[in-house]
Amino acid sequence: MTDPATATIPHRAPDQVMRLSRLGSLHQCRLSFMRQLTRRMAAEGWTFSRPVFDIDGNGVGRAVYVAQGPRHAYSLVAFAHDLPDDLRSDRVIAEAWDATFALYDGIPTDEDLDRLERNVPLQEAGRIADSELSLSRANRSVRLWAHVVDNLAAGRQPDPAEIAMVGYLMRTTAVYGSGKFGAADRDKIANRPEMQAPFQAEMLSVWLTRTFVRDLIEHIARSKGGDKAVALDPAIARLLGIGNSTGLGMAPFLLNHPVLFNNWIMAREEAIARVRSLPAATTAEAELFRELLQRCQVLVDGWQSDHPVQQAKLKDLHRDLARLTGQAEGDITNNHPWDRLVAWSETALSEEGQEFLASLILEPYPDLVDGLGGCMADSAPDAFRIDGAMTVKTLRDLLNQTYGWAFALDWTSPETIARAWYTSEEKLEPRLGERFEEPIGDYEQPLAPARDAAAAHAALAGWPDDTPVAEFLLRHPEHRHTVRRAQIARIAPYGEIRDNTIAADLLPIDMLRAKLSFFGATRFDPRSDRWVRITMYQGAPYPEDLSPETADLWVYPEAPS
Amino acid sequence: MSFSLNEVEVTARKAARGAGYPWGLAEEAGRATRWLCAQGLPGCESLAALLDADLAAALQDHMPGGLESPWRGRAELCPLGTGAALSDSAARVSGGTLDIADVAQPMLFLPFVAAAARRLETALSLAGPGFTAVTDGTTLSLAGTIPEAGTLTLRPAAMPHTGNQEQTRAAPDSRAWQTLNRFAHRTYAPATEESRLMGAGAGLSDND
Repeated sequence: MTDPATATIPHRAPDQVMRLSRLGSLHQCRLSFMRQLTRRMAAEGWTFSRPVFDIDGNGVGRAVYVAQGPRHAYSLVAFAHDLPDDLRSDRVIAEAWDATFALYDGIPTDEDLDRLERNVPLQEAGRIADSELSLSRANRSVRLWAHVVDNLAAGRQPDPAEIAMVGYLMRTTAVYGSGKFGAADRDKIANRPEMQAPFQAEMLSVWLTRTFVRDLIEHIARSKGGDKAVALDPAIARLLGIGNSTGLGMAPFLLNHPVLFNNWIMAREEAIARVRSLPAATTAEAELFRELLQRCQVLVDGWQSDHPVQQAKLKDLHRDLARLTGQAEGDITNNHPWDRLVAWSETALSEEGQEFLASLILEPYPDLVDGLGGCMADSAPDAFRIDGAMTVKTLRDLLNQTYGWAFALDWTSPETIARAWYTSEEKLEPRLGERFEEPIGDYEQPLAPARDAAAAHAALAGWPDDTPVAEFLLRHPEHRHTVRRAQIARIAPYGEIRDNTIAADLLPIDMLRAKLSFFGATRFDPRSDRWVRITMYQGAPYPEDLSPETADLWVYPEAPS
Repeated sequence: MSFSLNEVEVTARKAARGAGYPWGLAEEAGRATRWLCAQGLPGCESLAALLDADLAAALQDHMPGGLESPWRGRAELCPLGTGAALSDSAARVSGGTLDIADVAQPMLFLPFVAAAARRLETALSLAGPGFTAVTDGTTLSLAGTIPEAGTLTLRPAAMPHTGNQEQTRAAPDSRAWQTLNRFAHRTYAPATEESRLMGAGAGLSDND
């Protein structure tokens, strides 16, 4: 991936990048999966239609939205329900929702729709088939929904300030893909160019969901207000994204997919290194950077959180933005301008601000950056295979490289191993518990690679340097998963989080944010240490407005005129 | 009912863990079962039978004593532990023949032969009582019926001419699937009110 012609500045080291506090400060960038999708659809001239919109005045019924690409069509099948308030929960253990969705591979027949109607509203309790690529659901933002319906029905536009405060009319929770609940395996679509980058089916499903939600609320307002009702002003509609409420489930994903996670981080680090390596920037590039920096001010001003950790980070980010704006008023065209800025940020800004800058410097350089989007899938299934001919000495060295920091920790101390990851019997959702307060130790999932690496390192102590690893594993199969991870780190140096994932002071939201930032999410709003709300596609064009001009920089709000 | 191969892999991994295998071998069980199902072979059924035999309780007795041919254990060999050893030490079988004594559920050993073949970039033949299987890692050619147990011989072979049609879904026997889920269930912590409130983190009401 490294192109010596463009990258002379080395990648940042995994020891710097893969700390949880930094991963918990990541921001969206050109490589984000939502932006990859909208850019591609615009560049390829995808067309969009709504062949079915069979919804009654109470907002109950079904609709189909078709996205037609050059090779395949994909259809969002949406079911709208009448949900009593007392059943509205964003927990994964909920059993009913305001709306439920599946992304169908192709264009569904009426029989498909009937089959899906029997299953999709049940979500985890239903079954879908290999003609489906994702399964998801969403609940209304009750307050904003009522405000928008009431105003549109009365012939008025909703208050833009209210819209900006919440940012979405519906909030999704889990968006299931990759073979879950009977859906098609990733293998079915992995080789299609439009699905090659990670989570493109899920991102498409959410983007179409946003359009459905807009259409649904206009429909309900019309039913309520009759002739008096008006459609949503497109400028206001654009301010509405789709919310997402995410619990712990995403955190194990990062640990369970080290090659994939590495490829995301590696692509971004390579992009950062390429841009830092530029000896000079043109005036136009510098001006674009300054313009987007200014537009970010609006984005950050609209980013609210009640969580004390995020409040402190937002305070830092506000201060960092002011400093960065001042710094960027100087010369940012000569003498390796981006490298100078990044070096300055490491002494002057918080991690929140440093990562904000690292993402922003990529913006003027689509030619250097965007091609890396194709390197972000996991294309190394055989990385799973252990090289048993490797010597014990080499394995020790590998463990030291990736986990050396962990060998100094006291893995018998209660604070170090305070937490345990487990799967709950009800609804099979991942949870994080207190090892010494709850009966969960026997059910622990292998999500503490650092602790396990320290144990494997200790077990290797008596083994001669030149012994093949295969012989060690024959007698110590309990260290097999750790040896696998250590060997994977050879090809995936950014695959491992270099922090203790079972520490008493672990903040799982750091892991959630790392993943969601690669989706392209904004406005991270932690509701606790293990649950975060975000906004997706805020500012994005709707299908009828999608064009190469609108497909990319939508994430940055236009500065108020 | 038809299942995705991802569902097969996840269920097999959890089931092997629930049956007492270490995580690393449970991961192997997931991959192996998925590979078998992709070849149209009854991988879930074979794993269910293996887990019912409870070899994990004294796993070392069911691992090869060493890596020199012939491989044998103190008792019947576990195809997962033995298969993992083969996959790890693929280079050792590149030259000659490897005899493996008394393997339980030899079908589950096949995916590891495939992994070794892929690593060696050659085809390997696995022969046992009543069957011969040849694979280059992706294509599998199987003659005969794989028994519940048997002594196996592994050797380099010519590439298979025809292979099984690759499957994208699995339709395991419902009893075998139930067995796997019964073992998988052992990995789930019983719900407590405390964990319900604390563990997952999200709120109880979404009315805002």
